Amino acid sequence: MKDRIKVITEEALKEIGACRAGEDTVEALRVKYLGRKGIITELFKQIGSVPAEDKPEIGKLINILKESVTRSLDEKSLLVPSAEEKAPPIDVTLPGESGHIGRIHPITRTIDEINSLFVSLGFRIVEGPEIETEHYNFETLNIPLEHPSRDAFDTFYVSFEKKTLLRSHTSPVQTRFMEKNRPPFAIVVPGRVFRPDATDASHSFMFHQVEGLVVGQDIKFSDLKGTLTTFARQMFGKEVRMRFRPSFFPFTEPSAEVDISCIVCGGKAGEKRCSMCGGKGWLEIMGAGMVNPKVFEAVGYNPEKVTGFAFGMGVERIAILKYGINDIRLFFENDLRFLRQF
Amino acid sequence: MKISYSWLKEYVNISLAPDKLAHLLTMAGLSVESVKRFGDDYVFEIEITANRPDWLSVIGVAREIAALTGEKLKAPKVANIKAGSSVAGLKVRIEERSLCPRYTARVIRNVKVGESPAWLRARIEAMGLRSVNNIVDITNFCLFETGEPMHAFDFDKISLGEIFIRKALEGEKVVSIEGTEKTLDKSMLVIADGKKTIAIAGVMGAANTEVTGATKNILLEAAYFDPVSVRRTSRKLAISTESSYRFERRVDPDNIVCSSNRALEIIIKIVGGEPGPLIDMGNKETKKNAINLRIEKVNKLLGTEISASIMKKIVLALGIKIKGSSGKKMALEAPSFRCDIKNEIDVIEEIARVYGYDKIPITLPKIVEQPTRFDRTMVVRKKIRECLTALGSDEIITYSLLSRKMVEASEASGDSIVGIANPLTNEQEMMRPNLLSGMMNAILWNINRKTKDLKLFEIGNVYFKKDEKYGERMHLAIGITGENAVGWVRGSSGANFFGLKGMIETLFMELGIEAPEFKCARKNGFLSGECAEISIATESVGMMGRISGKVLHNFDIKENVYMVEINLDTLLKYVKLEKRFVELSRYPSVFRDISILAEKGLPNAELVSAAKIAGGSILRDIRLIDRYEGKQIPEGRQSLTYRLEYCDPSKTLEEKDVLDIHGRVLGELEAKFGAKLR
Repeated sequence: MKDRIKVITEEALKEIGACRAGEDTVEALRVKYLGRKGIITELFKQIGSVPAEDKPEIGKLINILKESVTRSLDEKSLLVPSAEEKAPPIDVTLPGESGHIGRIHPITRTIDEINSLFVSLGFRIVEGPEIETEHYNFETLNIPLEHPSRDAFDTFYVSFEKKTLLRSHTSPVQTRFMEKNRPPFAIVVPGRVFRPDATDASHSFMFHQVEGLVVGQDIKFSDLKGTLTTFARQMFGKEVRMRFRPSFFPFTEPSAEVDISCIVCGGKAGEKRCSMCGGKGWLEIMGAGMVNPKVFEAVGYNPEKVTGFAFGMGVERIAILKYGINDIRLFFENDLRFLRQF
Repeated sequence: MKISYSWLKEYVNISLAPDKLAHLLTMAGLSVESVKRFGDDYVFEIEITANRPDWLSVIGVAREIAALTGEKLKAPKVANIKAGSSVAGLKVRIEERSLCPRYTARVIRNVKVGESPAWLRARIEAMGLRSVNNIVDITNFCLFETGEPMHAFDFDKISLGEIFIRKALEGEKVVSIEGTEKTLDKSMLVIADGKKTIAIAGVMGAANTEVTGATKNILLEAAYFDPVSVRRTSRKLAISTESSYRFERRVDPDNIVCSSNRALEIIIKIVGGEPGPLIDMGNKETKKNAINLRIEKVNKLLGTEISASIMKKIVLALGIKIKGSSGKKMALEAPSFRCDIKNEIDVIEEIARVYGYDKIPITLPKIVEQPTRFDRTMVVRKKIRECLTALGSDEIITYSLLSRKMVEASEASGDSIVGIANPLTNEQEMMRPNLLSGMMNAILWNINRKTKDLKLFEIGNVYFKKDEKYGERMHLAIGITGENAVGWVRGSSGANFFGLKGMIETLFMELGIEAPEFKCARKNGFLSGECAEISIATESVGMMGRISGKVLHNFDIKENVYMVEINLDTLLKYVKLEKRFVELSRYPSVFRDISILAEKGLPNAELVSAAKIAGGSILRDIRLIDRYEGKQIPEGRQSLTYRLEYCDPSKTLEEKDVLDIHGRVLGELEAKFGAKLR
């Protein structure tokens, strides 16, 4: 019996080894050896006639034989290409298929970016109402009712009688916040503002601002410079240069206009034809200054005890500079060919 | 304001080339917008801030340059002119002392009105004005040179030589020098003679006393008019002149007589004439502002280490007088031309400005840890944007102000709409009461540009009026139209109610909002058969559905649009972003499908809720996976297939347990709704 097993093993492996992959012969061999009437199946049946003491050993040998034949056949049949494998290849250049991911509006995106920049510096984000009163939009900010300084703040009124208007800047949130909170604090106020300007490529009667306010015991003009320099470098790139020019805003003193070196021509002298800065080399990005003591007085702070700085920038302006957009109206037309660029 | 480079050079030594000077001025707060060649001169266009009327003249700017460069101001010295002493024929009376604290006038007889000499014309034209005649040109020249507006009247046309500074009569009409008729009211200050108004004080002269070629004798006026009064009048009449621009910013009261004499000097030199004495009425003393400056305060506020001696140098250069000084303090007096310097902070600003902002160091503030970084509403809005963009929707931002037509097109109406009292155009008459109009406009804009498959959303305020108070609240709108094209493999489907509803359900799930209810509803703007009210815990949070044919027509949209508008202020109450771990079941779920025939009008929600009650806690989930009506389904019925998930957290469910519950669920659906197992 043992010899027979040995012979069958040799024959079977030889036969399997010789058969060509991809032919029906692999399956025919499986039937020949492992089928219901196969050679190995028959061997198992003959175990009964083996002397009892040899049974375990013979059984084990037949099992080993079965395993090795099965494995060899399996290996051989793996080499057989299936019907799928025989099919011609698909056109892998056909387009892929997936849903479209919507885009965040570039204004929201810019506000988010500005917010997170200031949050990383320790600021808190605060919001306020768009329908405002003269009191917050002007008076608490030291903007006298009848003074040329109000010319810069032409305003939509909802009701002249009730002195109710659409805020022309986000600064009223400054005094609203100060009335309810005690220093020290650092806040940033994003929001929508309105001014009755005729609409053209660079003007819109509605736009967005981000306002900042830092108040504490020892806040200095140099802190203002440092904060805004950090901001501009992160927003527009490390190589950007800053310029602080004296200016005037009723709610800050000293006040500054903040410029960055032109992000297109780099502010190199002689670039008279730069489409971005028109050869000036500088781009105005925001107004800023130390909080005017009169504003502190209006909210009941003691200007001898606290100082602070404030700044404000137009979000559309920042986005226009950052992305090189040439018309402010694009932001509100909502043309998907525009929106999907961001 | 325009200013001439060569003119400046007459009053101060300038060694800087025009572009270098422009930079110097810009960095000192006189923002030079452009430098243009004008013949062999250069003209600077400078933006002067509202707080610095003293810069609105050549001398004012020259004075600033002197302070910045350490040069000396060479203001013109007005020669002593021998004036006649006879005041015969001129009488001045100020009736409104508060609106006209000071008024000077002088008669100059036998002038020869004619063309201006070339040098004068050049100066006037460099300033962007047209040369009129020598007298008018000289008053303008002096206005630019000294900053004091002056006016010359034809003296012979002033009735009886009497001048009254009084308020206008209500409804009084006057023809200005420009030839337009203006109607005045009794709040406006005018210069009048006994019979008529001859000038709108500080704003513009009247045609009736204009200096012409025939003029023999003139009256030269130089005065101080109240800034607020001039501003009001100028705004009401919509006339802004070089003169009103300066008066409303405040002229230097100490400069009036000097300027008048300067004008006289030039008149005599180039026009000739015999001057009478100067009539000078009103306040001759001007109060000077006294300020205490603390040296330490300056450096503390600026973050600098500027020495007291540098501070002294700066204030003196600016014409501020030092009345006394100790090591720590200075007692200062602001000159009359610096009405903006009233407090210590004003002087600190001047020191910073002249010292140079660029020399102030760069530091970072000590910022104290804030209690929060973002308010909850901002976090929720961010989450909504993330979720909706992930669902393929693009964010739009539309105008808060709309035309009445647009608001009405959205079928919104009523007293609660907020109007704009002073719109610039009819595109801005009203504040949006909803986000629908903006959404429709954005959809139309894109369809017209051949982008027809749209999923848009907007988050923004809508505005309302309630009990005579104005308010705003935040809304979310989603609008879908066209094909929801997945691709060439899976194909596409047209925008439909359930596509939109699915977005809302996914969004709510993301926001941790449980069990939103959708109830069949009717609302203006929506097609009545495809409209649902969305509520959470019985509180309505918004409406969704298919936009009605009428509204589509109003916006000229030919495609179907589905839209939802949600009140985010209300929704916020139900948002739960906090996450809490729930242990995973250790026992596997068993899934069973049920196909039933039910009456066609039977709402899915009722079937599901009945099944849930019957299934108890073991029934984890029930989901509709197929719905069919038509062939093989009896009339008036629908075939519904649900997939039910059973799971017992305490043991492995055996076949008989599942059969038991599943049977109960089916039994309930049969008993309650007559639903039949297919």
